[in-house]
Amino acid sequence: MAGNPNLKVPDEAELAKMSREELGALGMALDGVELAEYGERYVPGSPADKRAERQVVKWFMLAALFAVLFVVAFIWWPAEYEPAYSDGQLMYALYTPVIGFTLGATILFFGIGVVSLAKKILPHEVAIQQRRIGMSDEVDRKTLAAQVLDTGDKAGIKRRGMLKGSLALAGGALGAAAIVPVLGGFIKNPWAERADSPLWVTPWAPAADGTKVRMVQIDGTPVRPEDLEAGSMATVFPAVPGGGKASDAAVMLFRLRSDSVVRIRDGQQGFQFGDYYAYSKICTHVGCPVSLYEQQTGRVLCPCHQSQFNLYEGMFPVFGPATRPLPQLPIELDDEGYFVASRDFVEAVGPGFWENGKYPAWYSEPKEASG
Amino acid sequence: MSVKDTPPTGGSTRKRRRSKAMRRISGSLALLLALCTVGLLYGALVSDKNTAVAANVDAVQVAQGKEIYQTACITCHGQNLQGVTDRGPSLVGVGQAATYFQVSTGRMPAAENGAQMPRKEPYFAPEEIDALAAFIQENGGGPVIPDGELRAPDQIAKGGELFRLNCASCHNFTGQGGALSQGKYAPNLDPATDAQIYGAMLSGPENMPKFGDGLLTSDEKRAIITFIQNNKATVDPGGYALGGFGPAPEGLVAFLVGMGAIVAATLWMGSRA
Repeated sequence: MAGNPNLKVPDEAELAKMSREELGALGMALDGVELAEYGERYVPGSPADKRAERQVVKWFMLAALFAVLFVVAFIWWPAEYEPAYSDGQLMYALYTPVIGFTLGATILFFGIGVVSLAKKILPHEVAIQQRRIGMSDEVDRKTLAAQVLDTGDKAGIKRRGMLKGSLALAGGALGAAAIVPVLGGFIKNPWAERADSPLWVTPWAPAADGTKVRMVQIDGTPVRPEDLEAGSMATVFPAVPGGGKASDAAVMLFRLRSDSVVRIRDGQQGFQFGDYYAYSKICTHVGCPVSLYEQQTGRVLCPCHQSQFNLYEGMFPVFGPATRPLPQLPIELDDEGYFVASRDFVEAVGPGFWENGKYPAWYSEPKEASG
Repeated sequence: MSVKDTPPTGGSTRKRRRSKAMRRISGSLALLLALCTVGLLYGALVSDKNTAVAANVDAVQVAQGKEIYQTACITCHGQNLQGVTDRGPSLVGVGQAATYFQVSTGRMPAAENGAQMPRKEPYFAPEEIDALAAFIQENGGGPVIPDGELRAPDQIAKGGELFRLNCASCHNFTGQGGALSQGKYAPNLDPATDAQIYGAMLSGPENMPKFGDGLLTSDEKRAIITFIQNNKATVDPGGYALGGFGPAPEGLVAFLVGMGAIVAATLWMGSRA
């Protein structure tokens, strides 16, 4: 109910006689706004008026020009991929910048044109509006609150228990429907397969008939000792279906110089084959692939959080957030002279989880039983 | 190589009875044929090996290499390439590949011992590098960078796959290099030539692991080189590459520069209103 209570609203006959400017001023006055100054910015037809018009027109013309250029470039500029070393490569590479630049310039110039239209062409006006300071009047607040509560009374919310119950049910069910897709993925029992839990078993585990898994390169080539020279590192995968994509299977196979001294962890004697050592490539911090291998210092770096493992120190972490060493894979040669995993890792691969290290308290079988 | 292995002339060994003239003619013909064959073979084998690598041992070149070695390398690598404790490693078995890589990239001769030898302007001329490499190859043996084309233009995709598996972890997805531990780093591949990349893979300079031919066949090495060089020759469609470090710096720059420009423009418009 803002507005000017003292203003007399003109009748129909008076309204019919009023000019557009007077009607506009009346409308603002009814809303409690008083026009102090209002009128054309410049004298129509004066040099200043014409200059202002030219300035606005210039921006709109530029916007139109760049819009046309955009359309032309979009249709006729060579957008087909051109490989490196070809003559058309530069033109192709310019396609995206050109259409971006022309369309961006169109929008920018159009915007500048609209702003300058408002500043240079639209009527000059100074309007004054009274503003209330502080909260609403006591009577306004009382009446509004009464109105809301009365609506509830008239609808009889209090006595309709069924309605309230069903509404709460619908709201709760809707909330559950929103949460389930997010949390549902976590509801999984990793121990359903007991000792064969995927948390402990990797594709390196020998098959049921005892066949040991071969190491292959990414293209499926099995790895022989003579493939690696001293100071080499190869990323190898288990030669089983899906082995190249399994998230816990990537292994780094190192060949060290014969004079290297490597700390062997307790109970892991004989996991290496001569100067060849195989370790999981999955960082024990959050599972990034560690493969920044410094062949002189024996350090293996993780690119994600800068953990460093020292091969000469049994792959224990020497820097960064990782706290557990990279698991070592026991390796040997099969009767054709290719590397195989003697058995699965003896500890869990990758980042930690609650039950890691608590085994065998969690279940009765030791991990080796899974092989 | 020379014609030292000239086959025996046919006529002198034959026991069959023939006229003297016949034996002479057939003997000279056989000799001529053998000489031509050896000459042709020699020409075919040698013509494309114009850069001096250890494949053809050239005594003069080796002598020149020895001279260079004794003036520039001997202090740290020892009289017999055996290395000097706390100064330089043994060069026995590093071969032409390592020598070419280290010297042609200017890493050797080193200015001082440090975390890592930086790339700099090569100190020796290409012929001197070849001579030195021939000397090292002759005396210690080891891997050799092959001659001829080191690229395989139809293998870019395979090269990219191998690059991402074997190289990108240290050298970055676009070959820009990156930090390692304690001041060491994987260098930017931008200035590297085909032969230098090949030599680095073969020899595993400093902390880089070796990628011998059993691990990456010479075809696979060529594919990787093709991918790296093709990347460098590709014009960036987005304009400035921002060092090729990927989406994080690109997003940061877009945010800082883009948002900064918008905020500045808004403030400017507000001040003018």
